[in-house]
Amino acid sequence: MTATTATSRNASAPSLAASPKFGTFAITFSLFGPAVYCVIQFLNWPLFTYWPATGRLVWGYEGGLSGQGPNMLWYGWTVTTILIAAGLGLLAMMLPERVTRKIPLALIWILPILTIPYIVYSLMPWWVLAAK
Amino acid sequence: MAGLISTNTFWTLWLFVHLILAVGLLGALTHQAMAVALPVRRIAGGIVSRFRAVPAAGYATAVCVLWVLTFIVGSYIYTKYRIQIRIPLEAARFYKTGGFFDFKEHIASIGLTLLPAYWYFWKNAQNPDFDNARKGVTLVLAAMCWFMFIVGHVLNNARGFAS
Repeated sequence: MTATTATSRNASAPSLAASPKFGTFAITFSLFGPAVYCVIQFLNWPLFTYWPATGRLVWGYEGGLSGQGPNMLWYGWTVTTILIAAGLGLLAMMLPERVTRKIPLALIWILPILTIPYIVYSLMPWWVLAAK
Repeated sequence: MAGLISTNTFWTLWLFVHLILAVGLLGALTHQAMAVALPVRRIAGGIVSRFRAVPAAGYATAVCVLWVLTFIVGSYIYTKYRIQIRIPLEAARFYKTGGFFDFKEHIASIGLTLLPAYWYFWKNAQNPDFDNARKGVTLVLAAMCWFMFIVGHVLNNARGFAS
């Protein structure tokens, strides 16, 4: 055992971290979060649209309007993702532990890496303009 | 703040706060990533060994808090970026810079969703079942943080709020 891992093993777990139910919620949230974000962005389902030039906030998606400046969707995509991932986490908490224990934990760091090609693809308008 | 400082100074100060938080986050995550990727057997040694020999579990909550705070401050200044920075960048045909900034925003959101599991894995460092996942998610978050830091830095060089 290394010095570092020895120190890590001595870390005491606070009550929330000691809860298996919270563990199921946290693992499910992080497992689905990256994929949900990509789907939300692909389908363009922001919870709200923000117009920074006028400070206007509207529910859902609102496309380009003349005289309003640019719209911002990223806030809405992020909040939608958090709500859906939290919902999935809460649902997973209701499942029996023998089911949730089978979640492959490696997916939590593999899936974010797999989202990179999609993100690069989704930014294609920028790359096309840069190539011209 | 009207009258005390100029609009550019106001946003530059917030950008500076974003930078300070990002530097703290980058340092904490880099220490932790080095500790899990290249753990040391003996703490004594050179600066590199000491850098790797930190009590990594103690950084988990600080990393989560710093990620969220950096995210919130970044989200706040993003409104000004959209008007004052991005439009002139596009006019000057800095398309790759703009594209990489959008890349950075997506990475920030994806990283945010990883924090609950990251925190849980570190707070249960005594559980060997989480060892590989903890190492993987820490390295991914550290790589994301370095990417975002470099993109933000280059973007500020291309056009800062005071430009």
